[in-house]
Amino acid sequence: MGRLSHLLKLLTGPEDIGRSPLFWAAFVAVSIFLFVYPFWLTEFEVTNIAYYLLNVPIALGLGLLWGYCGVLSFGQVAYFGIAGYVYGIVAGNMIGEAAGPIIGSLCGLAVSALVAAIFGYFVFYGRVQSWIVPILTLVLTLLLETFLGQTAGYQWRIGSVQLGGYNGMTGIPAFRLGEYVVMGYRFYYYVLITVIMTYLCLRLLVNSRHGKVMLAIREDAIRAELLGYDIRARQLVVFVLAAILAGVSGLLYVQWGNYITPSQVGLLQASLPVIWVAVGGRESLLAVLLSTCALNWLNYTLSSEGYQYALIITGALLVAVMLFFPSGIVVALARDLPKRGLRALLHGGEGDAG
Amino acid sequence: MDSFATVISILYQFATNGAFLLLSALGLIVILGMMNIINLAHGELMMMGAYTASIAWHHGVPFWLCAILAFLVVALFGALLERTIVRRFYGRELGALVVTWGISLILSQGALMVFGPFLPAIPIPGGSVGVGQYSFSVYWLMVIALSCVLIAGLWALYNYTTFGLQARAAMQNAAMARALGVNTERIYMLTFSLGAGLAGFSGALFAPTVSIAPFMGQQFVAPAFITVVVGGATNVITGAVGSSLLLSLVKTPIGFVFGAFVGTVALLLAALVIIRLMPDGISAVIQRRIDRRHRFA
Repeated sequence: MGRLSHLLKLLTGPEDIGRSPLFWAAFVAVSIFLFVYPFWLTEFEVTNIAYYLLNVPIALGLGLLWGYCGVLSFGQVAYFGIAGYVYGIVAGNMIGEAAGPIIGSLCGLAVSALVAAIFGYFVFYGRVQSWIVPILTLVLTLLLETFLGQTAGYQWRIGSVQLGGYNGMTGIPAFRLGEYVVMGYRFYYYVLITVIMTYLCLRLLVNSRHGKVMLAIREDAIRAELLGYDIRARQLVVFVLAAILAGVSGLLYVQWGNYITPSQVGLLQASLPVIWVAVGGRESLLAVLLSTCALNWLNYTLSSEGYQYALIITGALLVAVMLFFPSGIVVALARDLPKRGLRALLHGGEGDAG
Repeated sequence: MDSFATVISILYQFATNGAFLLLSALGLIVILGMMNIINLAHGELMMMGAYTASIAWHHGVPFWLCAILAFLVVALFGALLERTIVRRFYGRELGALVVTWGISLILSQGALMVFGPFLPAIPIPGGSVGVGQYSFSVYWLMVIALSCVLIAGLWALYNYTTFGLQARAAMQNAAMARALGVNTERIYMLTFSLGAGLAGFSGALFAPTVSIAPFMGQQFVAPAFITVVVGGATNVITGAVGSSLLLSLVKTPIGFVFGAFVGTVALLLAALVIIRLMPDGISAVIQRRIDRRHRFA
């Protein structure tokens, strides 16, 4: 019981917006709603909603890295792509074996984490300036795209799986647990549970001791180091964690659409997580969660109508947010909403004082 | 005679790669050195330069004039960008990165909508000269020479003009420079404009060698940013020259043996190793050498 109340205290700790009992009531209500309302929707609609949700882990990972740790990465999609491709290769070679998708998922996450660890070692242990990390992560993802783009042809075959060049890898098996193939409605619940669990776990993390150190590094790296913390190791750990979360989204993506193409790790895709996080507000996990779902919905709606302005609108949105709401729209709303009621809802007790 | 020709050929390859890296990165490094801002719209500014050159060339303007025109047009645009958006992000490096990314999305997609997916190409001016069994493009030889001239010009600008003196002062200590009456706002605007103009100029120079399309800027992103990371921000000229020569030393043999893609991967790996050894880039190392010599002299 003591452990449980400790967890609850961490969960409602100060490092995210939305701390009042009312907020948690709303959170539970929305979660229940998300669990229940697919009964009124077709399988197609549910699959679309699953698509908006499956990008949440990569965005939360970037929010953690950028907003809470002060390290910006433009290359999260590289880990997204690595996990997706590795899953495709491993699970595709183990078709018919019940454990294939599970082993494939684990391999995908492991390779993403490994690449991030090697890359992060050079960057963080070199103590480079803050602008170097985003630049090099961007270069990494562009090179990955170029590499995957030229893997067309029969010689680029691993086991029975073709990498497929610019056309990408197709026929990637869906996730399955024993007898259950996770598709359609099941896939929606699988994504929903993953997203909610990821959010809650990260909220625990940012309010834990480790999270406080992370924030200290963001606020003043030298001071944190003088207090005896190894900032290089801490940043590296968060970087790897963010890569794993990007990998989770990559896994969900290939399990959702059963294909992946090199453009998933291209420049345009690379910009999306940055946009989701910046628009919502990088210093709040909740804001990232909300803006990721909203912007995915917006982008899907715009591009499914063949709207050629989609990119310009996203670009303009990014510029406008950086100019007028540098801390993000959701965070700015939560902080500055004049209405007392909403303020109390989002901030809990302390909000009334401000 | 054959071995002589081979040496010339290797030197040519080396200089071509070096000039490519230098021109890709120069505008970026000028801005970074002064304001500690990475301009992610750099590739799109190069695209604008190439577009300007292509449009002007097909209206009968001679090519060298097209390149100068590209410099002026993009420099003007850069000044506008600095005044309206970029200046709000001084001191917020990561914010500047993100906002210039937004600008790059708007520029590339905007170019696609206004001009369509392709612009007519510019044929490569000049023919080729032969040494032994090798032949070399006159145009690339001109580009190599021009990048030397450009570096010399920048060096003169930073060392012999009032602007250069004030710019170096603002780089070392902006608050002190302001206190001594330097208009740092103006210096920043001019520097950003200069960096943008150089990007446009490079874009125009590369225009005959690539296909001119809205997303053409992307191909310069990797080489330009690696060059900047390796060069560092301490000194614009030593950073740009040192880094592009060093990276060309990596890229030329590897690219020659394993192809262009592996050459670029080698650049990234070299950059990772180099920042592990010298985190502030090659220019910081050179600068320290110079400072030490001055102290003992």
